[in-house]
Amino acid sequence: MSANRWLATGNFFTTYREENRIFQTHIDRLVFCAFLASVFVWPLFISVSNKYMLVIDNILVAIVAILGLNLVTGFAGLISIGHAAFVGVGAYTIASFSQVLGDSHVLITHYWPLMLLAAGGMGAVFGAIVGLPAFRLKHLYLAMATLSFQMIFQWVINFMTFFNQGQTIFVGRVFWLTGKVGRRDHYLFWYYVILAIIVIFGFGIRNLLRTKHGRCLAAVRDNDRAADAMGMHPGFTKVYAFALAGFLAGVAGGLHAYLYRGVGFESFTLTQSISQLAMAIVGGLGTLIGSFFGPIFIILLDLQVEQLANLAANFLPSAGNLATALRPLSFGLVIVLFLMYEPRGIANWWRILRSYLKLWPFRY
Amino acid sequence: MSYFFQLVISGIVVGSIYALSGLGFVLIYKSSRVLNIAHGQIIAAGAFITYALTVWAGIPIYISFLLSLVITFFLAMSVERVFLRRLIGEPIISVIMVTIGLMSIIDGLIYLTPFGSENFSFPEFLPKTPLTVGGVSISWTQLVGVIITAILIAGFSWFFKKSTVGISMRAVSDDQLASMSVGISIPRVFGLAWATAGLSAAAAGTIIGNITGLNFDTLHAFGITVFPVVILGGLDSIFGAVVAGIIMGLIQQFASGYLDGNWGLNGTADVLPYIILLVILLFKPHGLFGTHEIERV
Repeated sequence: MSANRWLATGNFFTTYREENRIFQTHIDRLVFCAFLASVFVWPLFISVSNKYMLVIDNILVAIVAILGLNLVTGFAGLISIGHAAFVGVGAYTIASFSQVLGDSHVLITHYWPLMLLAAGGMGAVFGAIVGLPAFRLKHLYLAMATLSFQMIFQWVINFMTFFNQGQTIFVGRVFWLTGKVGRRDHYLFWYYVILAIIVIFGFGIRNLLRTKHGRCLAAVRDNDRAADAMGMHPGFTKVYAFALAGFLAGVAGGLHAYLYRGVGFESFTLTQSISQLAMAIVGGLGTLIGSFFGPIFIILLDLQVEQLANLAANFLPSAGNLATALRPLSFGLVIVLFLMYEPRGIANWWRILRSYLKLWPFRY
Repeated sequence: MSYFFQLVISGIVVGSIYALSGLGFVLIYKSSRVLNIAHGQIIAAGAFITYALTVWAGIPIYISFLLSLVITFFLAMSVERVFLRRLIGEPIISVIMVTIGLMSIIDGLIYLTPFGSENFSFPEFLPKTPLTVGGVSISWTQLVGVIITAILIAGFSWFFKKSTVGISMRAVSDDQLASMSVGISIPRVFGLAWATAGLSAAAAGTIIGNITGLNFDTLHAFGITVFPVVILGGLDSIFGAVVAGIIMGLIQQFASGYLDGNWGLNGTADVLPYIILLVILLFKPHGLFGTHEIERV
């Protein structure tokens, strides 16, 4: 007989199975379902201009990418300074299809879920290749491997004529059951697609982390020798973490390509990699919910910084590149301040808030 | 044949500067096991400080070079003091992430100054006619740069081998607990390691700025190439950093001399170091001279 499953004031687990539940109480489940429903339904009632819809879509694409980065950096404890390159691999997979077949080939416009899977697969392959040194090395060196992959990726895109030397490669409009997705509905359509993908991946990762395949990531991060003694293969686990992260990044890249209807070089640079790391850190490394908070926080901060730079440019006409200066400055400050004062990120505030609400109005 | 020797000369020039900047990086890694991702930014900052002192403040370049070494020395020390001191004892992964954040911050600060967007070049203070021996020519700037680099590397080796402070730094890198028990202050050693690394980075930045001109993107790329250099040499070997620096300089010069323009290749010098990095990580992960930790995970 378990405790009250509607309003638990604490942890009363008596079996391991109970602790592993995704939703501890029925209230949690209800609130989650209500939240999910509201996220899907709100565009029917509130109409948002395409400009803001693009921001929301951007955040969602970033969430898909950060789910991957958090898996490899947060759960498996391997620093990846080249996540934007993996995202780029996914985007350029679709771009190469568009280069070979033409940007409105039926494969790209009608079978786009297949294309997204292909992009993810390509990302996974490259992730596994970059993770290969894990068989012989500990995590510090892997940061170098990802950094060098980032540099190689940038060079390849910039110098190969096949990739248009980093200039935009166009990707055609997609078709849905009702026909071609027009200019007006474009961002709304992708909002729903990305949201569905996030829900699938979110549940997938949450469940993965309950199984042995997910827990071995954390085991290898915390103590690789102990994990080895328990019968896991640390090297293989790390490669597998990179491949998973690469898959999620690749899908994010494919979504990015479709969302912007084109692929350009500047979305996948080292700066982007660092801002993605900032998202993962700010959200909270090693927490699933952090992958959602981080992108929201950083992208909104980025918008504020841009506005501030525009505002300042009115008063200081000479400061032309204030935006290029303030962006890295704010990202860097956010990374450093969070690591120094709140290393567990926004997810920790969320945890505190939840435990406060759980006991409200009583407290210890 | 003289083309070959010309490439060798310029390879050695660039390589010795890689050696100098790799040395600083290895120093920090050796003493505190921190990969300083922001090292390239410190190199750039050092170069810009020298330029600002020389041209804007009108100080003779010899004095401003020394002044900028001193300034960067204290700058790097305060970076360690402010950002990294409080993270001693935290997991190493978060310390490395702090240096990634630092890289971003210093980038932003440099973009705030005119150096972020414009090109500058140091005033000529050496004879313009290059020195030519048997068809191979080397400019005076390069020659002086190599000589200064050689002197600095020799000075650093002496410092680590003989001076008390250098020996205490090596002791800390060997065994922190044991060195604490003989009375070495570990935070002070960490601070000194950062400061010395800053000093060597400023020297490297100023010399490369004199040779190629000051452009933030170039210095940025130069700073990131330090990573392949130190991996090739072995992360914890100062001698390895010097040798690998020169090897990497030669490889880059040969690549741009012989590969570019053939088979439709272009700019191979920018990418080859990273391919080498990946290959080395796969096949000889501890580099040429790094310590082999017998530990496979």
